[in-house]
Amino acid sequence: MLVLDRVGKTYPNGVRALDGVSTEVAPGEILVVIGGSGCGKSTMLRAISGLDTPTQGKVVLDGTVITEPHEEIGIIFQEPRLLPWLRVADNVGFGLEHCPRAERSARVARALDRVGLTEKARVWPRELSGGQAQRVAIARALVPRPQVLLLDEPFSALDAFTRADLQDHLLDLWADLEPTLVIVTHDVEEAIVLADRIMVMRPRPGRVFEEIACDLPRPRDRQSAAFDFVKRRVLAALDRSLDRAIITDDGETKAAAGGGLWW
Amino acid sequence: MSLVSMTATVEQAGTERGASKARLARFARPALGLLLPVALALFWEIAVRMGLSNGRLVPPPSVIWNTFVDLAATGELQQHALATIWRVAWGFVFGVLAGTVLGAVAGYSALTYRLLDPTLQGLRAVPSIAWVPLFILWFGIFEASKIILIAVGVFFPVYLGVMGAVLSVDRKIVEVGRVFRLSGLAMVRRILLPAVMPAYVISLRAGLGLGWMFVLAAEFLGASTGLGFLLIDGQQLGKPAQIVAAIVAFAILGKTTDWLIVLVATPFLRWEDVATRR
Repeated sequence: MLVLDRVGKTYPNGVRALDGVSTEVAPGEILVVIGGSGCGKSTMLRAISGLDTPTQGKVVLDGTVITEPHEEIGIIFQEPRLLPWLRVADNVGFGLEHCPRAERSARVARALDRVGLTEKARVWPRELSGGQAQRVAIARALVPRPQVLLLDEPFSALDAFTRADLQDHLLDLWADLEPTLVIVTHDVEEAIVLADRIMVMRPRPGRVFEEIACDLPRPRDRQSAAFDFVKRRVLAALDRSLDRAIITDDGETKAAAGGGLWW
Repeated sequence: MSLVSMTATVEQAGTERGASKARLARFARPALGLLLPVALALFWEIAVRMGLSNGRLVPPPSVIWNTFVDLAATGELQQHALATIWRVAWGFVFGVLAGTVLGAVAGYSALTYRLLDPTLQGLRAVPSIAWVPLFILWFGIFEASKIILIAVGVFFPVYLGVMGAVLSVDRKIVEVGRVFRLSGLAMVRRILLPAVMPAYVISLRAGLGLGWMFVLAAEFLGASTGLGFLLIDGQQLGKPAQIVAAIVAFAILGKTTDWLIVLVATPFLRWEDVATRR
């Protein structure tokens, strides 16, 4: 169980990025964090990963307080961050140096197979497309089999088709080992495709505004009425989180953004 | 012949043409670099032979070649070249060692940078010749002072290159190392060293270039061997062919040693995403 207990972060320049965020993420759950710019989503992810230390509260994984990167927590960043001097297979196996060579090779080969890049094992990262590079980053993060995988806007730099493809791919990979996923995104549809639960945050300082359960059956049909219903709920929550909700003549609250998908 | 086999034959012929083209390009590229000096040499040779110049102060290539052959036949050329190479080699080793260590420490530690860098930047501005009297006083007129002078020349580009490279290592890449919980030593070996390698190679090449310049300054002052001595000797005895021969020897040695660095470094830099491969 991943627990965030009143986690807050104030930077040395006095900016309060995160304030009193508390939540519990069950093993195998997919939590998607969504919110406007500056609401502390990435700060929260960095605190969970141990890359940054919270100035208030604590992050606890199975009873262990996280103060530095932990072997059971992997992270995928917005950009692939592949090491340009290592070939694709060596990038994927980067976190397995402690493993015997044969085991490492087998795990890397399997991970590359799972992301459909077996034939790219010997190429340099510069020879990959954006989508391929991000798939290598996913393979690299999953190969040590972390209990928790954090994804910080992992598909935001990709085109719509590649993004949808990788979302499906991520769910396939997740189904293998069912790690806990905490995903930060700006894309409402992406959030609904992936999430078991959507956490809407509000900015300055970043706080949890609302949590929306997302229990649609998988695979999720983006054209379905149920999908659309959840989308409207999330959009309305986002607008309210930014104080942009409008009240119609008949007293109904509507999203001011007119159904925009990106925040 | 079937259409499939005809297509295969055409494809094979195309592949062979491509391979022979690549082979040709491999030899043609270095040959292209020789084009300008050879053309200039030919032009000058023809100009002297046609009587457009007496070639006394700027001897034609044939005279320089004869001087080379004469010097090589007596063993003088080898003796002087080896003495110079020996000095540059040791100066390079010491300069690179000091530049790498201090550059890495200054790049890594802000405190060391603040302590060290202003002084080193001040010393960098001192002309090489200014060190000579002091080094002769401190280390005598023999090899030590010369090697130290060359090491000083090599040191600064290497120090600057390494420090700048360490300072500019991408924080995001370092975070990848942190996520995988690399120890300090593993972080240096697996992240920092490969990340600084391209800039390091450039600084080594710049350092070596300065090493060849400083060896001349060193050999102008009290040396009885070395290509620098050959230059001075040529000037004092009025032998311009010997001077030009020594200059050509410097150029050949400088280019060869630079090429050696590139040759050794190339396997480590194959990953680089560069706009053009020369």
